[in-house]
Amino acid sequence: MQLRYVFSELRQGLRRNLSMHIAVVLTLFVSLTLVGIGSLLNMQANKTADHLGSQLEVIVWLCTPEDPSNNACTGEVTDPQKAQVEQAIEDSPEVEDYHYESKEVAFEKAKELYPDLDFEGDDAAMTSEDMPQSYWVTLKDPNEADGITSAVQGLDGVSFVGDVRDELEPVYTIIDVLKYGSWIAAAMLVLAALLLVANTIRLAALARRKEIGIMRLVGASTLYIALPFLLESLVTAIFGVALAAGALAAFVQFGITDGLADLIDFLPWIGWEEYLKALFGWRQAGIAIVGPILTLVPTLLLTRKYIKV
Amino acid sequence: MIRFEKVTKSYPGPGAPALDRVTVDVEKSEFVFLVGASGSGKSTALRLVLRETRPTEGRVYVAGKEINRLAGWKVPRLRRQIGTVFQDFRLLQNKTVAENVAFAQQVIGKSRSEIRRVVPETLELVGLKDKAERLPDELSGGEQQRVAIARAYVNRPMILIADEPTGNLDPTSSVGIMSLLERINETGTTVLMATHDHGIVDQMRKRVVELDHGRVIRDEAMGAYGFQH
Repeated sequence: MQLRYVFSELRQGLRRNLSMHIAVVLTLFVSLTLVGIGSLLNMQANKTADHLGSQLEVIVWLCTPEDPSNNACTGEVTDPQKAQVEQAIEDSPEVEDYHYESKEVAFEKAKELYPDLDFEGDDAAMTSEDMPQSYWVTLKDPNEADGITSAVQGLDGVSFVGDVRDELEPVYTIIDVLKYGSWIAAAMLVLAALLLVANTIRLAALARRKEIGIMRLVGASTLYIALPFLLESLVTAIFGVALAAGALAAFVQFGITDGLADLIDFLPWIGWEEYLKALFGWRQAGIAIVGPILTLVPTLLLTRKYIKV
Repeated sequence: MIRFEKVTKSYPGPGAPALDRVTVDVEKSEFVFLVGASGSGKSTALRLVLRETRPTEGRVYVAGKEINRLAGWKVPRLRRQIGTVFQDFRLLQNKTVAENVAFAQQVIGKSRSEIRRVVPETLELVGLKDKAERLPDELSGGEQQRVAIARAYVNRPMILIADEPTGNLDPTSSVGIMSLLERINETGTTVLMATHDHGIVDQMRKRVVELDHGRVIRDEAMGAYGFQH
């Protein structure tokens, strides 16, 4: 096959329809960026869940002498009360494992968590005596927290029962909203991109209808006739993907690594590995795969229609 | 080379079929005029040979292939064996004469060396060797039609189809075009030409097939345009 002709046609086609091609590139750019951000956020949510999955625990906080969380606490939890709570935990079928955490351990943790506070001397912000004792209960299934909660809630000496997931719920909600929001916006822009590609092809086929007619008559194969169109679409896809890849790199670098990851450092954050997946991953609908498909499929369908032999 | 067996072609909608049980057999290297009034079915017959359309009933054989059974992807190969010339020339205005002729070779993947060899040869055959670098609108109608014939013939097809090739030309140019087609016919190429041009048909004394309302009403080995007056 003579590719020289194909490439000169490609060059001409790109020039002839420059404004349309720019429109396609920009639409693709924005929609692919949104698709990419959606899948990055999705991976972030999974990563967070993975990281926390092993730690999904229910914490049974026990009463302190002057407990601010529960008025029913009459004073420091007693040993018989603790034995009763321990029994309730052991009797609960959903419990995988549990351990007791003393005031001292809690105090050490608090010191780590708030390094700026003063924990020594007379003016200490808190002492180990202020800290609650607790049971840390690991569940067989993190979704089955209700059973154990109702089993120990209300027992004497129990201040309150905390589920780690409750504290993370807002984080998940925000990620979900952003993820679905970007996917919905991406879906509409993808539709716009498809229509733009279709229009571009229609115009190009119209501009070249005489040549196409002659090519058909002298027996050029359909592929040969369609090739310049397919290459035109591929070129616009490459530009769109490249721009989106740049925007996503900026998102990962400035939004995540230098931004959120700096701000919230107790969670694991996505990085370049996930970035590559968002670009080339098959299961993540990588934009380097989606982009060319978005332009080539309508082109193939329309060229079949317009240049049917 | 071309055979119609009881071919009927109806288009959607009311009205008589464009072709009605037409049976015609054209041998290799024959020269056949297809005559008849507008709407008699000439164009439909040519379109069937090119497999631009398919028969409603009956069979059309071209170069030994039944076109109705031909898979879509094989159609380009069939068309490479057929050259086509039209009344309106259909040249690419932004390409030179030589480029227009070379185009027919480029798009079917002929090598550059072959194109360099065959295009000048073909231009010489049609008498346009000196005008290879001209653009179509710098040529007369007759010359433009010669370019179109060169393009149709450059791949040395077995069949040349000409749809009113002299329809836009003055009598002198028409005579030139006809002698060119005759010369191509003498190389063994089958020529099928649809025309309205009485003078040419009467003068050439070739086989004439006349269509009227989709039916063959005459098929004479050495005919004239109309019945002898």
